[in-house]
Amino acid sequence: MKIDFILNGNAVSIESTYTRRLLDVIREDFDLTGTKEGCAEGECGACLVFMDDLLVNSCMVPMANAVGKSVVTIESFAQTEAYKSIENAFMSSGAVQCGYCTPGMVMAVYELFKKYDAPTLQQVKEGLSGNLCRCTGYQMIFEAVAMLVKEGYRYD
Amino acid sequence: MINSYRPTTVEEALQLIHQKRCHIFAGGTDLMIRKRQWQGAERKFTQPVVFINGIDSLKNIEETDTHYIIGALVTQTEMAESHLPEYIRVPYAQMSHPAIRNIATVGGNIVNAASVADSIPILLALDAEVTLQSVEGERTIPLGAFILGKYKTVRKDNELLTYIHIPKKNYNAYYYKKIGQRKASILSKVSVFIVHHKLDEIAITIGAVNPMVIRSVQLEKQFIKDHSIPDLIQGFKAILSGVNDKRSTKDYRETVAINMIKTYLEGVINEL
Ligand SMILES: Cc1cc2nc3c(=O)[nH]c(=O)nc-3n(C[C@H](O)[C@H](O)[C@H](O)COP(=O)(O)OP(=O)(O)OC[C@H]3O[C@@H](n4cnc5c(N)ncnc54)[C@H](O)[C@@H]3O)c2cc1C
Ligand code: FES
Ligand code: FES
Repeated sequence: MKIDFILNGNAVSIESTYTRRLLDVIREDFDLTGTKEGCAEGECGACLVFMDDLLVNSCMVPMANAVGKSVVTIESFAQTEAYKSIENAFMSSGAVQCGYCTPGMVMAVYELFKKYDAPTLQQVKEGLSGNLCRCTGYQMIFEAVAMLVKEGYRYD
Repeated sequence: MINSYRPTTVEEALQLIHQKRCHIFAGGTDLMIRKRQWQGAERKFTQPVVFINGIDSLKNIEETDTHYIIGALVTQTEMAESHLPEYIRVPYAQMSHPAIRNIATVGGNIVNAASVADSIPILLALDAEVTLQSVEGERTIPLGAFILGKYKTVRKDNELLTYIHIPKKNYNAYYYKKIGQRKASILSKVSVFIVHHKLDEIAITIGAVNPMVIRSVQLEKQFIKDHSIPDLIQGFKAILSGVNDKRSTKDYRETVAINMIKTYLEGVINEL
């Protein structure tokens, strides 16, 4: 069937079943491979996207639940100023090693600042609890967020 | 090929689930996890799938003089960020993790009826009721009567859970603690929820130990009368029937639950 939604600001229409995962549509139909598949169980956060401005695991979203929604992937988010500051903080803190978790991690950091102007370490840990990283041991990621707090980073 | 549908009204959904046995799909955070069943689902599904997330009328939190009325499709994030009392918001804010909370629904957690479902101890302590609707009519029953056991409810195949009713009470204090392997995004090994108004009114539930949430109105009443923690503990011990499983052992769960209740209530009594 025909499914309409908005992807990275553009109205798109695809031929798909309702049961296909948003993750597969993004990667296979649109070749946007910044969104990763890790666990496929909603635990790791590698597949995070924004849907109607909310952070969601795209491995958990069947196309039926994306109908008419506005989906933003890392490719589009990476064009924003909001992203650039997070990228800087991640780079200067050594918060990226293999990079597999990074797109999701960056998006979860952005969502965190939506909730708190200056998240505490505990709030950072809770906010990133749906993101697994096998390389950094998280410390550098927490430091990147601390750096953003220090710089007065704000959600816009 | 299995059919799938996306109704946008309750009536439409009821018609669909009345005609045939269907999978009802809300946020999907339980259904998608049953991955082995789900992968290749487009071919293997044995029942039609009804995606109910397009039914906007079930996405509101409303209140009357006596109750909060929660639509079945309200998400955990919406619960956590609502104007509901803190003793309801906080437990929802501790479920899963931010991105799952944005899609997981209140109704899904209840109908799934896992023994580790974190909302059930809360709603049970608050005497919540659920409304089930079908083309044949509707019924509103206590949550305690809705859940029969682990993954078992009295819901008929043609019934949709539409609303959850939470009575307004004058509780002024609560305790909530969920213990898991990690702090966040993890299923509970054991959880304890206590709401009370001084020691005139109290409700105590223990989640994730027994196949069903533990609550004893009789023990609560006795405790209000005598404030005896040892008797209360003795009473709970008699009804705890935890098991050893991959998440934890029976002993650990029961000891932790008992200790949490004891420590909290001792504090309350000291402050009286
Ligand atoms: C990473 C992760 C972490 C999690 N952490 C927790 C946690 O900490 N605590 C916890 O309790 N749970 C947790 N869960 C489980 C899950 O998120 C919750 O149970 C959630 O509330 C289910 O809601 P849903 O809308 O996603 O349900 P769905 O998967 O859509 O549905 C669940 C079941 O309910 C039925 N159903 C749903 N809505 C209705 C309705 N209105 N009428 C009739 N039947 C209906 C479905 O048919 C299905 O059988 C977690 C899940 C994941 C993936
Ligand atoms: S792939 Fe979606 S959360 Fe891991
Ligand atoms: S940098 Fe490799 S998983 Fe996080």
